[in-house]
Amino acid sequence: MANELLLKVNDLTVIFDGVKVLDDVSFEIKKEEVLAVIGPNGSGKSVLLKTLIGITKQTSGTIEWAPEIRIGYLPQRFQVDKYLPMTVKEFLELKPDPKESINTVLKEINLDKTILNEAMAHLSGGQLQKILLVWAIIDKPHILLFDEPTENIDVVGQESVYKLLHHLQDLHNIALIIVSHDLHVVYRYANHVLCLNQKMLCYGEPHKTLTNEHLAELYGDHAFFHHHHYDV
Amino acid sequence: MFENFPLILISGIAVATASGLIGTFLVVRKMTLMSDALSHVALPGIALGIIFNFQPLVGGVVFLFFGILLIWKIENKTKLAIESITGVLFVTTLAVGTLLIPETELLETFFGSVEKTTSFQLILQTIIAVIVIATALKYLKPLTLSSVAPDLAASEKISHAKMQFLLLTLITLTISIGISFVGVLLISALSIVPAATARNLSDNFKLFIRLSVILAIFSLTGGLYISHVWHFDPGIATVLISAFFFVLSLFKKQ
Repeated sequence: MANELLLKVNDLTVIFDGVKVLDDVSFEIKKEEVLAVIGPNGSGKSVLLKTLIGITKQTSGTIEWAPEIRIGYLPQRFQVDKYLPMTVKEFLELKPDPKESINTVLKEINLDKTILNEAMAHLSGGQLQKILLVWAIIDKPHILLFDEPTENIDVVGQESVYKLLHHLQDLHNIALIIVSHDLHVVYRYANHVLCLNQKMLCYGEPHKTLTNEHLAELYGDHAFFHHHHYDV
Repeated sequence: MFENFPLILISGIAVATASGLIGTFLVVRKMTLMSDALSHVALPGIALGIIFNFQPLVGGVVFLFFGILLIWKIENKTKLAIESITGVLFVTTLAVGTLLIPETELLETFFGSVEKTTSFQLILQTIIAVIVIATALKYLKPLTLSSVAPDLAASEKISHAKMQFLLLTLITLTISIGISFVGVLLISALSIVPAATARNLSDNFKLFIRLSVILAIFSLTGGLYISHVWHFDPGIATVLISAFFFVLSLFKKQ
Protein backbone atom coordinates (compact mmCIF):
# COMPACT_ATOMS: atom_id res chain seq x y z
CA MET A 1 0.00 0.00 0.00
CA ALA A 2 2.80 2.40 0.84
CA ASN A 3 3.99 2.27 -2.71
CA GLU A 4 0.60 3.07 -4.17
CA LEU A 5 0.94 5.64 -6.94
CA LEU A 6 -1.22 8.74 -6.49
CA LEU A 7 -0.09 10.80 -9.44
CA LYS A 8 1.93 10.22 -12.57
CA VAL A 9 2.84 13.14 -14.80
CA ASN A 10 4.38 12.56 -18.22
CA ASP A 11 5.99 15.16 -20.52
CA LEU A 12 3.70 17.94 -19.28
CA THR A 13 3.94 21.06 -21.41
CA VAL A 14 1.93 24.27 -21.04
CA ILE A 15 2.15 27.06 -23.61
CA PHE A 16 0.54 30.49 -23.09
CA ASP A 17 0.45 32.69 -26.20
CA GLY A 18 3.35 30.88 -27.78
CA VAL A 19 5.49 31.08 -24.61
CA LYS A 20 6.46 27.80 -22.98
CA VAL A 21 5.56 28.12 -19.29
CA LEU A 22 6.16 24.45 -18.55
CA ASP A 23 8.41 22.36 -20.75
CA ASP A 24 8.35 18.58 -20.67
CA VAL A 25 7.88 18.00 -16.93
CA SER A 26 7.59 14.40 -15.68
CA PHE A 27 7.39 13.08 -12.12
CA GLU A 28 5.30 10.88 -9.87
CA ILE A 29 4.02 10.84 -6.31
CA LYS A 30 3.34 7.88 -4.10
CA LYS A 31 1.15 7.68 -1.06
CA GLU A 32 2.34 9.74 1.96
CA GLU A 33 5.17 11.29 -0.02
CA VAL A 34 6.19 14.94 0.19
CA LEU A 35 7.37 16.55 -3.03
CA ALA A 36 8.81 20.05 -2.93
CA VAL A 37 8.78 22.11 -6.11
CA ILE A 38 11.38 24.86 -6.14
CA GLY A 39 12.45 27.46 -8.66
CA PRO A 40 12.81 31.22 -9.15
CA ASN A 41 9.84 33.56 -9.65
CA GLY A 42 8.01 32.93 -12.89
CA SER A 43 9.45 29.45 -13.28
CA GLY A 44 6.01 27.86 -13.71
CA LYS A 45 5.55 26.47 -10.17
CA SER A 46 2.04 27.85 -9.63
CA VAL A 47 1.06 26.97 -13.20
CA LEU A 48 2.18 23.40 -12.51
CA LEU A 49 -0.21 23.11 -9.55
CA LYS A 50 -3.06 24.77 -11.43
CA THR A 51 -2.57 22.40 -14.35
CA LEU A 52 -2.52 19.39 -12.05
CA ILE A 53 -5.96 20.24 -10.68
CA GLY A 54 -7.40 21.35 -14.01
CA ILE A 55 -7.69 25.13 -13.55
CA THR A 56 -5.19 25.52 -16.40
CA LYS A 57 -5.24 23.21 -19.41
CA GLN A 58 -2.06 21.51 -20.55
CA THR A 59 -0.89 21.89 -24.14
CA SER A 60 0.53 18.38 -24.26
CA GLY A 61 1.52 15.55 -21.95
CA THR A 62 -0.54 13.48 -19.53
CA ILE A 63 -1.63 13.81 -15.90
CA GLU A 64 -2.86 10.57 -14.36
CA TRP A 65 -4.43 10.76 -10.91
CA ALA A 66 -5.29 7.60 -8.99
CA PRO A 67 -9.00 6.81 -9.41
CA GLU A 68 -11.38 8.35 -6.84
CA ILE A 69 -8.60 10.49 -5.42
CA ARG A 70 -9.53 13.54 -3.37
CA ILE A 71 -7.24 16.52 -3.86
CA GLY A 72 -6.90 19.52 -1.57
CA TYR A 73 -5.56 22.79 -2.97
CA LEU A 74 -4.26 25.91 -1.24
CA PRO A 75 -3.79 28.68 -3.81
CA GLN A 76 -0.93 31.14 -3.56
CA ARG A 77 -3.16 34.16 -3.77
CA PHE A 78 -6.63 34.34 -2.35
CA GLN A 79 -8.04 37.80 -2.24
CA VAL A 80 -11.24 38.48 -0.40
CA ASP A 81 -13.10 41.57 -1.46
CA LYS A 82 -13.02 43.85 1.58
CA TYR A 83 -16.75 44.48 1.27
CA LEU A 84 -17.73 40.82 1.01
CA PRO A 85 -20.40 40.14 3.63
CA MET A 86 -19.52 36.53 4.49
CA THR A 87 -18.48 34.86 7.70
CA VAL A 88 -15.79 32.19 7.93
CA LYS A 89 -18.49 29.63 8.76
CA GLU A 90 -20.53 30.52 5.68
CA PHE A 91 -17.42 30.28 3.52
CA LEU A 92 -16.50 26.83 4.87
CA GLU A 93 -20.08 25.64 4.37
CA LEU A 94 -19.66 26.24 0.62
CA LYS A 95 -17.32 23.25 0.42
CA PRO A 96 -19.18 20.77 -1.80
CA ASP A 97 -18.49 17.43 -0.14
CA PRO A 98 -17.14 17.68 3.43
CA LYS A 99 -16.10 14.48 5.17
CA GLU A 100 -15.52 15.94 8.63
CA SER A 101 -17.25 18.55 10.73
CA ILE A 102 -15.84 22.06 10.67
CA ASN A 103 -15.26 21.93 14.43
CA THR A 104 -13.17 18.75 14.20
CA VAL A 105 -10.86 20.30 11.62
CA LEU A 106 -10.60 23.55 13.58
CA LYS A 107 -9.41 21.53 16.57
CA GLU A 108 -6.81 19.72 14.49
CA ILE A 109 -5.44 23.02 13.29
CA ASN A 110 -5.65 24.51 16.75
CA LEU A 111 -8.00 27.30 15.76
CA ASP A 112 -10.55 28.70 18.17
CA LYS A 113 -14.23 28.28 17.24
CA THR A 114 -14.80 32.02 17.61
CA ILE A 115 -13.10 32.56 14.25
CA LEU A 116 -16.20 31.07 12.55
CA ASN A 117 -18.16 34.26 13.22
CA GLU A 118 -15.44 36.56 11.90
CA ALA A 119 -15.96 38.20 8.53
CA MET A 120 -13.76 36.70 5.80
CA ALA A 121 -12.80 40.23 4.80
CA HIS A 122 -11.36 40.98 8.26
CA LEU A 123 -8.95 38.04 8.51
CA SER A 124 -5.20 38.62 8.50
CA GLY A 125 -3.08 36.94 5.83
CA GLY A 126 -2.04 34.18 8.22
CA GLN A 127 -5.58 33.55 9.49
CA LEU A 128 -6.90 33.43 5.93
CA GLN A 129 -4.28 30.86 5.01
CA LYS A 130 -5.29 28.67 7.94
CA ILE A 131 -8.96 28.92 6.95
CA LEU A 132 -7.97 27.89 3.43
CA LEU A 133 -6.15 24.96 4.97
CA VAL A 134 -9.36 24.00 6.82
CA TRP A 135 -11.16 24.31 3.48
CA ALA A 136 -8.58 22.09 1.79
CA ILE A 137 -8.59 19.26 4.33
CA ILE A 138 -12.25 19.16 5.39
CA ASP A 139 -13.02 16.51 2.76
CA LYS A 140 -10.08 14.38 3.93
CA PRO A 141 -7.95 14.62 0.80
CA HIS A 142 -5.38 11.97 -0.10
CA ILE A 143 -3.04 14.66 -1.33
CA LEU A 144 -2.66 18.36 -0.61
CA LEU A 145 -1.26 20.86 -3.09
CA PHE A 146 0.19 23.84 -1.27
CA ASP A 147 1.30 26.92 -3.19
CA GLU A 148 3.36 28.95 -0.74
CA PRO A 149 2.54 32.65 -0.74
CA THR A 150 5.36 35.05 -1.51
CA GLU A 151 3.81 37.98 0.28
CA ASN A 152 1.58 38.95 3.21
CA ILE A 153 2.64 36.08 5.44
CA ASP A 154 5.17 36.69 8.19
CA VAL A 155 8.04 34.26 8.67
CA VAL A 156 6.75 33.03 12.03
CA GLY A 157 3.29 32.42 10.56
CA GLN A 158 4.80 30.53 7.67
CA GLU A 159 6.87 28.38 9.97
CA SER A 160 3.74 27.44 11.90
CA VAL A 161 1.95 26.52 8.67
CA TYR A 162 4.70 24.03 7.88
CA LYS A 163 4.49 22.60 11.38
CA LEU A 164 0.76 22.26 10.81
CA LEU A 165 1.23 20.50 7.50
CA HIS A 166 3.70 18.16 9.12
CA HIS A 167 1.28 17.51 11.97
CA LEU A 168 -1.57 16.84 9.51
CA GLN A 169 0.62 14.47 7.59
CA ASP A 170 1.29 12.49 10.75
CA LEU A 171 -2.41 12.52 11.55
CA HIS A 172 -3.89 11.58 8.18
CA ASN A 173 -0.95 10.33 6.11
CA ILE A 174 -1.65 12.96 3.47
CA ALA A 175 0.74 13.22 0.54
CA LEU A 176 1.93 16.75 -0.19
CA ILE A 177 3.12 18.79 -3.11
CA ILE A 178 4.65 21.98 -1.75
CA VAL A 179 5.67 24.87 -3.94
CA SER A 180 8.30 26.61 -1.88
CA HIS A 181 10.78 29.46 -2.07
CA ASP A 182 12.60 28.28 1.00
CA LEU A 183 15.28 25.60 0.77
CA HIS A 184 15.10 25.01 4.54
CA VAL A 185 11.59 23.68 4.04
CA VAL A 186 12.78 21.35 1.32
CA TYR A 187 15.54 19.83 3.44
CA ARG A 188 13.38 19.51 6.48
CA TYR A 189 10.14 18.11 5.07
CA ALA A 190 10.47 16.79 1.53
CA ASN A 191 11.23 13.26 0.33
CA HIS A 192 11.71 14.47 -3.21
CA VAL A 193 12.47 17.77 -4.81
CA LEU A 194 11.70 19.01 -8.30
CA CYS A 195 13.68 22.00 -9.59
CA LEU A 196 11.71 23.96 -12.11
CA ASN A 197 12.63 26.72 -14.49
CA GLN A 198 10.13 26.05 -17.25
CA LYS A 199 12.15 22.89 -17.82
CA MET A 200 12.69 20.32 -15.11
CA LEU A 201 16.30 20.95 -14.07
CA CYS A 202 16.52 18.29 -11.38
CA TYR A 203 14.37 15.68 -9.67
CA GLY A 204 15.22 13.35 -6.81
CA GLU A 205 16.00 13.18 -3.10
CA PRO A 206 16.95 16.61 -1.74
CA HIS A 207 20.36 15.72 -0.26
CA LYS A 208 21.47 14.00 -3.42
CA THR A 209 19.79 16.25 -5.94
CA LEU A 210 20.42 19.76 -4.67
CA THR A 211 24.01 20.07 -5.70
CA ASN A 212 25.70 23.44 -5.98
CA GLU A 213 25.69 23.09 -9.73
CA HIS A 214 21.96 22.52 -9.90
CA LEU A 215 21.22 25.41 -7.54
CA ALA A 216 23.47 27.75 -9.46
CA GLU A 217 21.74 26.75 -12.66
CA LEU A 218 18.35 27.30 -11.04
CA TYR A 219 18.79 30.54 -9.13
CA GLY A 220 22.13 32.04 -10.15
CA ASP A 221 25.10 32.40 -7.82
CA HIS A 222 23.39 34.00 -4.81
CA ALA A 223 21.66 30.72 -4.05
CA PHE A 224 24.77 29.38 -2.37
CA PHE A 225 23.99 31.38 0.75
CA HIS A 226 20.91 29.26 1.32
CA HIS A 227 22.58 25.99 0.85
CA HIS A 228 22.64 24.54 4.36
CA HIS A 229 21.95 21.01 5.37
CA TYR A 230 19.56 20.53 8.24
CA ASP A 231 19.10 17.48 10.36
CA VAL A 232 15.51 16.39 10.38
CA MET B 1 -55.45 53.59 -10.56
CA PHE B 2 -54.63 50.13 -11.87
CA GLU B 3 -57.47 47.82 -12.88
CA ASN B 4 -55.98 44.56 -11.69
CA PHE B 5 -53.89 45.84 -8.82
CA PRO B 6 -53.79 42.52 -6.87
CA LEU B 7 -52.31 40.67 -9.85
CA ILE B 8 -49.85 43.51 -10.47
CA LEU B 9 -48.82 43.33 -6.84
CA ILE B 10 -48.30 39.54 -6.86
CA SER B 11 -46.31 39.69 -10.07
CA GLY B 12 -44.34 42.62 -8.63
CA ILE B 13 -43.40 40.70 -5.50
CA ALA B 14 -42.23 37.70 -7.56
CA VAL B 15 -40.20 39.89 -9.94
CA ALA B 16 -38.68 41.88 -7.06
CA THR B 17 -37.68 38.67 -5.24
CA ALA B 18 -35.88 37.41 -8.34
CA SER B 19 -34.20 40.80 -8.85
CA GLY B 20 -33.05 41.10 -5.25
CA LEU B 21 -31.65 37.58 -5.30
CA ILE B 22 -29.77 37.88 -8.62
CA GLY B 23 -28.61 41.37 -7.62
CA THR B 24 -26.51 39.94 -4.78
CA PHE B 25 -24.43 37.95 -7.28
CA LEU B 26 -24.07 40.96 -9.57
CA VAL B 27 -22.73 43.01 -6.67
CA VAL B 28 -20.32 40.31 -5.46
CA ARG B 29 -19.05 39.60 -8.99
CA LYS B 30 -18.80 43.33 -9.78
CA MET B 31 -21.06 42.85 -12.78
CA THR B 32 -23.56 45.59 -11.93
CA LEU B 33 -22.67 47.97 -14.73
CA MET B 34 -22.43 45.12 -17.19
CA SER B 35 -26.00 44.04 -16.40
CA ASP B 36 -27.13 47.66 -16.57
CA ALA B 37 -25.70 47.97 -20.07
CA LEU B 38 -27.03 44.54 -21.00
CA SER B 39 -30.63 45.58 -20.32
CA HIS B 40 -30.56 47.94 -23.31
CA VAL B 41 -29.89 45.03 -25.61
CA ALA B 42 -33.57 44.11 -25.11
CA LEU B 43 -34.68 47.29 -26.92
CA PRO B 44 -34.59 46.15 -30.58
CA GLY B 45 -36.43 42.95 -29.57
CA ILE B 46 -39.13 44.94 -27.79
CA ALA B 47 -39.35 47.21 -30.84
CA LEU B 48 -39.93 44.24 -33.14
CA GLY B 49 -42.64 42.99 -30.76
CA ILE B 50 -44.44 46.36 -30.91
CA ILE B 51 -44.07 46.71 -34.71
CA PHE B 52 -45.09 43.15 -35.62
CA ASN B 53 -47.65 42.84 -32.86
CA PHE B 54 -46.23 39.99 -30.78
CA GLN B 55 -45.37 39.85 -27.07
CA PRO B 56 -42.54 42.44 -26.62
CA LEU B 57 -41.34 40.43 -23.60
CA VAL B 58 -40.48 37.54 -25.93
CA GLY B 59 -38.63 39.80 -28.37
CA GLY B 60 -36.70 41.27 -25.43
CA VAL B 61 -35.71 37.83 -24.09
CA VAL B 62 -34.50 36.67 -27.50
CA PHE B 63 -32.31 39.74 -28.02
CA LEU B 64 -30.99 39.64 -24.46
CA PHE B 65 -30.13 36.00 -24.91
CA PHE B 66 -28.11 36.75 -28.03
CA GLY B 67 -26.49 39.59 -26.09
CA ILE B 68 -25.31 37.35 -23.24
CA LEU B 69 -24.25 34.62 -25.65
CA LEU B 70 -22.03 37.17 -27.39
CA ILE B 71 -20.64 38.52 -24.11
CA TRP B 72 -20.06 35.03 -22.72
CA LYS B 73 -18.36 33.81 -25.90
CA ILE B 74 -16.14 36.87 -26.02
CA GLU B 75 -15.19 36.55 -22.37
CA ASN B 76 -14.34 32.85 -22.57
CA LYS B 77 -12.82 32.59 -26.02
CA THR B 78 -11.02 35.84 -26.73
CA LYS B 79 -8.92 38.42 -24.99
CA LEU B 80 -11.09 41.41 -25.88
CA ALA B 81 -11.97 43.62 -22.94
CA ILE B 82 -15.50 42.72 -21.91
CA GLU B 83 -16.50 46.23 -20.87
CA SER B 84 -15.70 47.80 -24.24
CA ILE B 85 -17.72 45.12 -26.07
CA THR B 86 -20.64 45.64 -23.68
CA GLY B 87 -20.33 49.39 -24.23
CA VAL B 88 -20.46 49.06 -28.02
CA LEU B 89 -23.39 46.65 -27.80
CA PHE B 90 -25.24 48.95 -25.40
CA VAL B 91 -25.10 52.15 -27.47
CA THR B 92 -25.79 50.33 -30.73
CA THR B 93 -28.90 48.54 -29.46
CA LEU B 94 -30.08 51.71 -27.68
CA ALA B 95 -29.80 53.63 -30.97
CA VAL B 96 -31.46 50.91 -33.05
CA GLY B 97 -34.21 50.37 -30.47
CA THR B 98 -34.97 54.09 -30.17
CA LEU B 99 -35.09 54.36 -33.95
CA LEU B 100 -37.57 51.47 -34.28
CA ILE B 101 -39.90 52.00 -31.33
CA PRO B 102 -42.86 54.30 -32.13
CA GLU B 103 -42.58 57.62 -30.33
CA THR B 104 -45.77 57.09 -28.31
CA GLU B 105 -44.36 53.89 -26.80
CA LEU B 106 -40.80 55.07 -26.36
CA LEU B 107 -41.20 56.56 -22.88
CA GLU B 108 -43.14 53.51 -21.71
CA THR B 109 -40.37 51.22 -22.86
CA PHE B 110 -37.75 53.38 -21.17
CA PHE B 111 -39.51 53.88 -17.84
CA GLY B 112 -42.10 51.10 -17.60
CA SER B 113 -45.81 50.79 -18.29
CA VAL B 114 -47.51 48.63 -15.67
CA GLU B 115 -50.96 49.98 -16.50
CA LYS B 116 -50.70 48.64 -20.06
CA THR B 117 -49.43 45.21 -19.06
CA THR B 118 -51.93 42.45 -19.81
CA SER B 119 -52.98 39.82 -17.26
CA PHE B 120 -51.39 37.18 -19.46
CA GLN B 121 -48.06 39.00 -19.36
CA LEU B 122 -48.30 39.49 -15.59
CA ILE B 123 -48.86 35.76 -15.10
CA LEU B 124 -46.06 34.90 -17.52
CA GLN B 125 -43.71 37.24 -15.60
CA THR B 126 -44.65 35.63 -12.32
CA ILE B 127 -43.94 32.13 -13.65
CA ILE B 128 -40.56 33.16 -15.07
CA ALA B 129 -39.71 34.87 -11.76
CA VAL B 130 -40.48 31.67 -9.84
CA ILE B 131 -38.26 29.67 -12.22
CA VAL B 132 -35.41 32.18 -11.75
CA ILE B 133 -35.75 32.05 -7.95
CA ALA B 134 -35.90 28.25 -7.83
CA THR B 135 -32.87 27.86 -10.12
CA ALA B 136 -30.82 30.42 -8.21
CA LEU B 137 -31.62 28.71 -4.91
CA LYS B 138 -30.83 25.27 -6.31
CA TYR B 139 -27.38 26.43 -7.45
CA LEU B 140 -26.84 28.86 -4.57
CA LYS B 141 -23.65 27.18 -3.24
CA PRO B 142 -21.73 26.72 -6.52
CA LEU B 143 -22.88 30.15 -7.76
CA THR B 144 -21.66 31.76 -4.55
CA LEU B 145 -18.37 29.87 -4.54
CA SER B 146 -17.55 30.65 -8.14
CA SER B 147 -18.38 34.31 -7.40
CA VAL B 148 -16.19 34.74 -4.32
CA ALA B 149 -13.38 32.27 -5.13
CA PRO B 150 -13.20 31.23 -8.81
CA ASP B 151 -9.95 29.27 -8.39
CA LEU B 152 -11.25 27.26 -5.44
CA ALA B 153 -14.46 26.59 -7.34
CA ALA B 154 -12.43 25.34 -10.32
CA SER B 155 -10.45 23.05 -8.04
CA GLU B 156 -13.78 21.59 -6.89
CA LYS B 157 -14.70 20.92 -10.54
CA ILE B 158 -17.21 23.75 -10.62
CA SER B 159 -16.79 25.25 -14.07
CA HIS B 160 -16.46 29.03 -14.05
CA ALA B 161 -17.76 29.26 -17.62
CA LYS B 162 -20.85 27.20 -16.79
CA MET B 163 -21.66 29.24 -13.67
CA GLN B 164 -21.09 32.46 -15.61
CA PHE B 165 -23.50 31.26 -18.30
CA LEU B 166 -26.09 30.22 -15.72
CA LEU B 167 -25.88 33.60 -14.04
CA LEU B 168 -26.08 35.49 -17.35
CA THR B 169 -29.19 33.49 -18.27
CA LEU B 170 -30.78 34.29 -14.92
CA ILE B 171 -29.88 37.98 -15.39
CA THR B 172 -31.47 37.93 -18.84
CA LEU B 173 -34.74 36.52 -17.52
CA THR B 174 -34.74 38.87 -14.54
CA ILE B 175 -34.19 41.90 -16.75
CA SER B 176 -36.93 40.92 -19.18
CA ILE B 177 -39.57 40.36 -16.52
CA GLY B 178 -38.76 43.64 -14.76
CA ILE B 179 -38.99 45.84 -17.85
CA SER B 180 -42.79 46.25 -17.72
CA PHE B 181 -42.51 47.58 -14.15
CA VAL B 182 -39.59 49.98 -14.29
CA GLY B 183 -38.58 50.11 -17.98
CA VAL B 184 -35.32 49.42 -19.75
CA LEU B 185 -33.46 52.45 -18.39
CA LEU B 186 -34.28 51.83 -14.73
CA ILE B 187 -34.37 48.04 -14.67
CA SER B 188 -31.00 47.55 -13.03
CA ALA B 189 -32.10 49.76 -10.15
CA LEU B 190 -34.38 46.92 -9.16
CA SER B 191 -31.51 44.45 -8.75
CA ILE B 192 -28.42 46.58 -8.14
CA VAL B 193 -29.61 49.21 -5.67
CA PRO B 194 -31.26 46.84 -3.15
CA ALA B 195 -28.24 44.51 -3.28
CA ALA B 196 -25.79 47.38 -2.81
CA THR B 197 -27.85 48.66 0.14
CA ALA B 198 -28.04 45.16 1.64
CA ARG B 199 -24.28 44.78 1.39
CA ASN B 200 -23.77 47.98 3.34
CA LEU B 201 -26.02 46.65 6.10
CA SER B 202 -24.88 43.00 6.30
CA ASP B 203 -21.98 41.18 7.90
CA ASN B 204 -23.01 37.76 6.65
CA PHE B 205 -24.19 36.29 3.37
CA LYS B 206 -27.58 35.02 4.54
CA LEU B 207 -28.57 38.44 5.83
CA PHE B 208 -27.17 40.01 2.65
CA ILE B 209 -29.44 37.92 0.40
CA ARG B 210 -32.50 38.29 2.62
CA LEU B 211 -32.14 42.05 2.99
CA SER B 212 -31.58 42.47 -0.73
CA VAL B 213 -34.80 40.58 -1.50
CA ILE B 214 -36.79 42.42 1.18
CA LEU B 215 -35.55 45.82 -0.01
CA ALA B 216 -36.36 44.98 -3.64
CA ILE B 217 -39.88 43.86 -2.70
CA PHE B 218 -40.42 46.90 -0.50
CA SER B 219 -39.18 49.33 -3.17
CA LEU B 220 -41.25 47.84 -5.99
CA THR B 221 -44.49 47.36 -4.05
CA GLY B 222 -44.01 50.82 -2.52
CA GLY B 223 -43.49 52.27 -6.00
CA LEU B 224 -46.55 50.47 -7.32
CA TYR B 225 -48.68 51.61 -4.41
CA ILE B 226 -47.61 55.25 -4.78
CA SER B 227 -48.40 55.19 -8.48
CA HIS B 228 -51.70 53.42 -7.82
CA VAL B 229 -52.81 56.12 -5.41
CA TRP B 230 -51.14 59.29 -6.71
CA HIS B 231 -50.68 58.60 -10.45
CA PHE B 232 -46.94 58.79 -10.12
CA ASP B 233 -44.75 56.88 -12.58
CA PRO B 234 -44.19 53.50 -10.85
CA GLY B 235 -40.67 52.97 -12.23
CA ILE B 236 -39.47 56.36 -11.04
CA ALA B 237 -41.14 55.90 -7.64
CA THR B 238 -39.52 52.45 -7.22
CA VAL B 239 -36.04 53.70 -8.05
CA LEU B 240 -36.38 56.71 -5.75
CA ILE B 241 -37.51 54.55 -2.84
CA SER B 242 -34.63 52.09 -3.28
CA ALA B 243 -32.14 54.94 -3.69
CA PHE B 244 -33.47 56.49 -0.48
CA PHE B 245 -32.69 53.25 1.41
CA PHE B 246 -29.23 53.16 -0.13
CA VAL B 247 -28.48 56.67 1.16
CA LEU B 248 -29.74 55.67 4.62
CA SER B 249 -27.51 52.57 4.57
CA LEU B 250 -24.42 54.74 4.02
CA PHE B 251 -24.94 56.30 7.44
CA LYS B 252 -25.16 52.90 9.10
CA LYS B 253 -21.80 51.81 7.66
CA GLN B 254 -19.98 54.51 9.62
